Amino acid sequence: MKKIVNLCLLTSMFLPVFVLAGEPGTALKADTLRAEPFADAKSVGSLTKNDAVDIVNKKGAWLQVKSKKSTGWVRLLSVKRGGATQSNQVGGLASVASGRAGTGKVVSTTGIRGLNAEELKAAQFNESEMKKLESYELSSSEGKKFASSGGLSTASIAYLKGAQ
Amino acid sequence: MHKLLIGLMLSTGLFSMQSAAFDFGKALEDAAKQKIEEVKNGGESKNESTTPEADALKSTTPQASSTEQAPAAPEAKAFNWKNPSKQEEIALGREITGSLLGAAPLVKDEALQRYVNKVGRIVANQSERADLPWKFGVIESADLNAFAAPGGYVLITKGLYLQLSNEAQLAGVLGHEIAHIVQKHQLKVLQKQQLVNIGAGLITDKFGKNNQIAQKAIGSGAEISARSLDKSAEYEADRMGMILAARAGYDAYGLAEVLQTIGQTNKSDNSVALLFKTHPHPDERLTRLGDSAGSQLDKLKAGKTLENRFYKLAP
Repeated sequence: MKKIVNLCLLTSMFLPVFVLAGEPGTALKADTLRAEPFADAKSVGSLTKNDAVDIVNKKGAWLQVKSKKSTGWVRLLSVKRGGATQSNQVGGLASVASGRAGTGKVVSTTGIRGLNAEELKAAQFNESEMKKLESYELSSSEGKKFASSGGLSTASIAYLKGAQ
Repeated sequence: MHKLLIGLMLSTGLFSMQSAAFDFGKALEDAAKQKIEEVKNGGESKNESTTPEADALKSTTPQASSTEQAPAAPEAKAFNWKNPSKQEEIALGREITGSLLGAAPLVKDEALQRYVNKVGRIVANQSERADLPWKFGVIESADLNAFAAPGGYVLITKGLYLQLSNEAQLAGVLGHEIAHIVQKHQLKVLQKQQLVNIGAGLITDKFGKNNQIAQKAIGSGAEISARSLDKSAEYEADRMGMILAARAGYDAYGLAEVLQTIGQTNKSDNSVALLFKTHPHPDERLTRLGDSAGSQLDKLKAGKTLENRFYKLAP
């Protein structure tokens, strides 16, 4: 518990630095930059596909980004994190958003062989692990209890149609 | 006609032997399209195949007439590939998942496993198949990946879990896998393959025990998990997974954030080799998701991310 508290202190110390410094991102498509994180807010500029941006803030479905020409809010799904070239760096925006940034989390899996087709093909059924998995099964009502303890309230939202 | 049928079976059979990753892609696409149509029409899903191949095989499949009413009595009954019962679907998923667990066991952390089952159950409750006995698990693997098997089995790797930073992101990832099961994406691939095999006389329809039926049915257990689904099935699972999490009250963008994280992982990194082989690149998935969402989610009430109760796992 103490460890968690320490961790929280540590992250809150680093968090503002990360937000201010921004994080590199790239526009996945052309989109409008807006003065505020709303679809009907004033347009303050635009992004072209593959534009490099600095992600400086996040609010719900929107990211505040700084491009060469302007700063504004753009839909989260229009921008990917990272530059045009792939890097091995992980963490970043998600960590910023959640307050987990600054913990120096570095994940390196180089040299560790991943799951592959051959391995999966050769795999033998493991009854005891399966029994364990089955023992964790919850009822629908237990799920509901956990949802309400987290303050989650359901909403009726239609599935999205596929875009072409 | 007869000649044509045999030719068809041979060519399909050949495909399945040569390139596991690409077999039945077309069949699945058809199945997925059909499914999408069904969803559009708001109808209940039926497992009836409508592809010409499957129709042609109907007449040659021995157990075609026996179905529906009888609850699964596995000892005596043949596996009904035309229209598997819920029990059969679960038995099949159990076989696949059990083999996956043979390759990568559960992380020995009961609190973690229980936590993931709670979140998964919340999301699954929002789906059309809340009645399935949903089971979720985190497996010992540094890979970034997650797996779904028919009947409600979902596994996520420890490597991917460690990339997550809040409950909404976990909900999004589980939502994607739940969608695969709801839409029976894997089941349909197996169905098409089995109907062809049965038709070709490669397997017969009488087996002894439940396990054996399922095992014979899918051949090499977890191998199905290493195969690609059709790209359209992946995009569909992204769209549905995102909405399932949002319906539950989570921030809708958890899955997108995870895709953004995974997209930053170097393609040559072993941890994403299987994921990138079997899925479209995360950038492409994000773009599709954005195109599908458009402005439709603008009015959405902000959901919860719940990072403070997210179960922290030591690397």
